[in-house]
Amino acid sequence: MSTRTGKQIIRIENVRKAWGSFTALNGVSVTFREGEVVCIIGPSGSGKSTLLRTINRLERQDSGHIIVDGITLDDDLKSIDAVRAEVGMVFQSFNLFAHKTVLDNITLAPRRVRHWNREKAEQVALELLQRVGLAAHAHKYPAQLSGGQQQRVAIARALAMQPKIMLFDEPTSALDPEMVNEVLQVMRDLAKSGMTMLIVTHEMGFARDVADRVIFFDHGNIVEESDDPRTFFSGPQHPRAQSFLTSYSGL
Amino acid sequence: MKNILQDRDSLTLIGAMLGLALILGLMSMPLAMLPAPIGPAAEQFSDGALTTIKLTLVSAVIGLVLGVVTAMGKRSHVAPLRWLADFYVWVIRGTPLLLQILFFFLAVPALLQDLNIPLQISEFWTAVIALSLNVGAYNAEVIRAGINAVPHGQIEAARSLGLNPLFTFWDVVLPQAVRISLPPLANNMVALLKDSSLAYAIGVVELSMVSSRVQAESF
Ligand SMILES: Nc1ncnc2c1ncn2[C@@H]1O[C@H](COP(=O)(O)OP(=O)(O)O)[C@@H](O)[C@H]1O
Ligand SMILES: [Mg+2]
Repeated sequence: MSTRTGKQIIRIENVRKAWGSFTALNGVSVTFREGEVVCIIGPSGSGKSTLLRTINRLERQDSGHIIVDGITLDDDLKSIDAVRAEVGMVFQSFNLFAHKTVLDNITLAPRRVRHWNREKAEQVALELLQRVGLAAHAHKYPAQLSGGQQQRVAIARALAMQPKIMLFDEPTSALDPEMVNEVLQVMRDLAKSGMTMLIVTHEMGFARDVADRVIFFDHGNIVEESDDPRTFFSGPQHPRAQSFLTSYSGL
Repeated sequence: MKNILQDRDSLTLIGAMLGLALILGLMSMPLAMLPAPIGPAAEQFSDGALTTIKLTLVSAVIGLVLGVVTAMGKRSHVAPLRWLADFYVWVIRGTPLLLQILFFFLAVPALLQDLNIPLQISEFWTAVIALSLNVGAYNAEVIRAGINAVPHGQIEAARSLGLNPLFTFWDVVLPQAVRISLPPLANNMVALLKDSSLAYAIGVVELSMVSSRVQAESF
């Protein structure tokens, strides 16, 4: 795939993050290229979410460097807001604004941050809703939607900012099984469109099919990394990856 | 939706309260027809009720703003602002309203005089100051609870979309916090209406008399 040679878009250098004596990220270094779809897997508590959250500064790293699309994430608030506008994030618990309609959820940030007028923001929002199959629900409130629908709205909301990178933190973990596929399908389509995507997931089948690269996390470190997901899932090298994948052998 | 129903309940409550006060005010008309001693005093009675309404409305608005500002102060990253907000709420909630009213009617004028500050505050505005400071502290607690009840994930989502802290508060947190706080805020307003008659009663009583009585009792 061309993504092997795509230009670097995220560079993480020796990043550490600890809470008290607990080390969540233990000197992680990794780079991501434009257009790449990377799935991050690993046991609960291994630091996967923390890694994603340092990339848009929902968590501040204790040390190390993070460079996103040429912008170094330091304590300068302008650089943090600039990065956040380029990086979309989708959460496990959807986090839609409960008091706003689907349409207003999507148009809020483009209007406030990109300064689009209402007309343009709504036009883009409706196109995105079409894309995620929810055009008929534009005027509903989040509470009136199923979990799968809410998550698709959340994806549309993040895409409305026209980000260069999308972060997904276990986007299907809070969903009833019958709703998982509708969300994964939207993500597959997005991957095909060439979006740079970092996806924390326990959906091994999805990761095997869609990922250009798989990263396995354990105890705040990347312990295995593979450019060939099929080979990785059929025969991981690291013992922790082996035992972890065995517990998902329903694959 | 449940939220809208709650809103309506609260609005009805406030509406009914003001209506009641208005009826009390208008009651002077039939009362004025009655022979002495009721008739001549009816005017005073209605004046009192109307002043109470005015007092309540003005104090409610100031108290609401004060409540939001104090709730924000309690969440501020700036420690002295947090301390100030905490101290204010602690003092108001830790002392009886009667004491606060007396403080503003008796101690403050004396203090201003001692400090040679030529500032005369009318009875009405003295009552407004005492009442809005009082209700503001209670509102702050209620609004803070409302803010805390807004799921943190929504704040993170807003920030991850690039919204700055101000827009995040204005567009995401405050509307939901106010909605959550509305029923207890309405309760505070009802209490305020009752309290304002207290303040009014104290204000119209001959102040020198009150002060001499307080002095006689305290010393
Ligand atoms: N705000 C926080 N305060 C304290 N500990 C935290 C906080 N956030 C995460 N942690 C800890 O960091 C560890 C790694 O968390 P996380 O990155 O969420 O793991 P994962 O996403 O791989 O399950 C967890 O064990 C968690 O307890
Ligand atoms: Mg996680």
